[in-house]
Amino acid sequence: MLEFNDVSFAYHKGCPVLTNLSLIVQPGEYIAVAGRNGSGKTTLTRLIMSLLKPVKGKITFESVDTRNYSPADMASFVGYVFQNPSRQMFHDTVIEEAAFGPLQIGIPKVDAIKYAKEALVKVGLDGFETAYPASLSKGQKKRLALASVLSMKPRLLILDEPTSGQDQQDKNAFLALLDQLHSEGLAIMIITHDMSILAERAERTIVMCEGVKVYDGLALELFRTYPIEKWGLRKPVAVAVSHRLSNYGVPFAATIDKLVLELKEVGRSGING
Amino acid sequence: MGKIAPLTKIIFTMMVSIWAVALSSPLSLSLVVAAQLILMVIGRVEIKTYKATAFLALFAVILFVIQYVFVHDIVLALITGLKMMAMAMVFILVLATTRVQELTAALVSQCRIPYEYAFMFTSALRFVPDFLNESQTIQEAQACRGYSTKGNIFKRIINYLSIVKPLVLRAISRSETMALSMELRGFGGERCSFSSQVALGITDYAALTGMAAVTVGVLF
Amino acid sequence: MSEIVIDDLSYTYPKSVEQALEGISLTIESGSFAVLTGFNGSGKTTLCMAIAGAVPHYFGGAMAGNVTVGSLKTTESGICDIANTVGLVMQDYESQLVTLTVEEEVSFGLENRGVECSEIARLVKEALQMVGLSGKERQHTAALSGGQKQRLAIASVLATKPSILVLDDPTSALDPEGACELYELLYQLNQDHGLTIVVVEHDLSLALPYASNFILLENGRIEKKGTPAEVLQYMGIKQQYACVLPELWKLKLGLETDSLCFSDWSTSEEAANELLHCVRSKEAEKSA
Repeated sequence: MLEFNDVSFAYHKGCPVLTNLSLIVQPGEYIAVAGRNGSGKTTLTRLIMSLLKPVKGKITFESVDTRNYSPADMASFVGYVFQNPSRQMFHDTVIEEAAFGPLQIGIPKVDAIKYAKEALVKVGLDGFETAYPASLSKGQKKRLALASVLSMKPRLLILDEPTSGQDQQDKNAFLALLDQLHSEGLAIMIITHDMSILAERAERTIVMCEGVKVYDGLALELFRTYPIEKWGLRKPVAVAVSHRLSNYGVPFAATIDKLVLELKEVGRSGING
Repeated sequence: MGKIAPLTKIIFTMMVSIWAVALSSPLSLSLVVAAQLILMVIGRVEIKTYKATAFLALFAVILFVIQYVFVHDIVLALITGLKMMAMAMVFILVLATTRVQELTAALVSQCRIPYEYAFMFTSALRFVPDFLNESQTIQEAQACRGYSTKGNIFKRIINYLSIVKPLVLRAISRSETMALSMELRGFGGERCSFSSQVALGITDYAALTGMAAVTVGVLF
Repeated sequence: MSEIVIDDLSYTYPKSVEQALEGISLTIESGSFAVLTGFNGSGKTTLCMAIAGAVPHYFGGAMAGNVTVGSLKTTESGICDIANTVGLVMQDYESQLVTLTVEEEVSFGLENRGVECSEIARLVKEALQMVGLSGKERQHTAALSGGQKQRLAIASVLATKPSILVLDDPTSALDPEGACELYELLYQLNQDHGLTIVVVEHDLSLALPYASNFILLENGRIEKKGTPAEVLQYMGIKQQYACVLPELWKLKLGLETDSLCFSDWSTSEEAANELLHCVRSKEAEKSA
């Protein structure tokens, strides 16, 4: 669906922020992008949105070079939810906010309102159509920001740090919502520092370090074999603990639930040899 | 230029303005501009200062052309352009060679300008880069929602509101935090000291005497 | 000595009908590392503001009860005097920075208090050293990274030598590495300089290795307070807080049975060691 072919980017000559990046995003994937602040994660997503143009290499969407697409053109394919939802909001009612995108990309008003309503239902904000966006809670604002891009019917959804600043309740609700959208066939790319998202949800993890893609594959494999501290990531507790116990018949586990099961199993059956 | 006290530079700014107003030959005005250029070189200002100066020069040329088109007097047009250049350039020169905190300190402790006013100047400068960043982020966020700058002028102005509103909201919340922060840190109290050294030295008195002499020469 | 004493504090913001804080009574001892947690809207920020005296001095509104920090009663002291005892790093710490350069930022509070020039230079140097920003004196604030800006905000409130440091949700914009470094710094300030630390945090696993107290807020009330272990045990029992538990405690509570009990882990190292011990002894039992 989306392809980066040996893409490099620099704001100033000699200071590359992204170097020789190649990657392919397939329809319906769930990808997590991790790495330090300033490692090039946001540059990657801005390149996807055509907010930046590659200095070298080519980006294609459905085999069409995106160089001549404006960000507004890209918006009908890719929905980008910014980290701080209040920067995206400027209308007086929730429904106007959600309908803004489809209206901008030339969808007739009747349909735009219909899409907006559908999107609000999806994120659980039906009934809030006439509410003032600024009066919503933090978690609701985040979901409104999501609805405002869903109403444009994108095929890929990019979320920049969707869980930062949210409490655990809102965070889990938001992630469950993404799971639902993903199961409906939407591709998801989530930029995150939250290792539990990598361990529990992502089918694929990309790690960026100093503008270079240093890992692209399964999160389990990443945790099992790679020196992730070097890339500014943190080992989940389950990984650290199961690693220490590996000599005693405890299999590798990336999530707490799995580790608890495994340890109970070891406790029941005893250790052989 | 680092060793010259900020007060001297403030006086220098005023003097240059007086000279620029009083002088009326293209040659002497050119001299003032040239002298400032030399001071920039001596003061080892950054590249962006020269860029700002070049921009100013462009502006002066435009002024010159307009004046010439309407009045058809080439000398008068030249003088107007040079006067503008000489006066505006001195601000760039002084700002480029002085730290803002020293200027504030001099304005408050030597020129008796109330601290609140001098501080407003500093804090405004502090927020320019943040403000630009913020407006870029918002523009990008809107672009990602299909907002485009195409269309006729009215549509564009209406669309532009989409950037202004979140920007203003953010600026308000930001200024509230800032106001609280300033209050917590004792801003607006009676006593106030400055960590910058702004006292005048021998070079300053020499420079001031020189400036006074030039001024006398220019005026009489 | 009790550093912060809050006695039956209730507070309502102006133009609001709901109470933001309701009957809060809390004592934080000198030298504590206290962590405030709870869902969004539970009153964590308001409580921080009350400790720093911004509630009610800056925000207005209706306050009942007392807050005493050090020897000052916040209702009877000026906000700036309270700031000599309590340093506040706000959630939006970027906007808290008001001057152009690093050096100016730290000296700002000192200049406003009329401190001598030579003394300012010394205090600025000391504060920057404490947070690891030495050598960046002349840099522009706008050019610093997020983590550095936060350190600068800390240095600028530490310069006036408060005995309490309050931080509102400091890690939300940091990466995992930056968050760990911040907690290391706070712990160092707590241990080496005897500062009392109060920090608002959603991710308890970050604070767990360092904290001496946990305070759980819910709807403006204290739901549970005590040692981290006490509060985490309580969260483990109450279903709605299960998602807030740090991974380490999910593991502990998931494994514990009536006959099996672990100690109160605060790092995965501790957990691994104890589990290792368990598995080994089981193995020895079996071979015996």
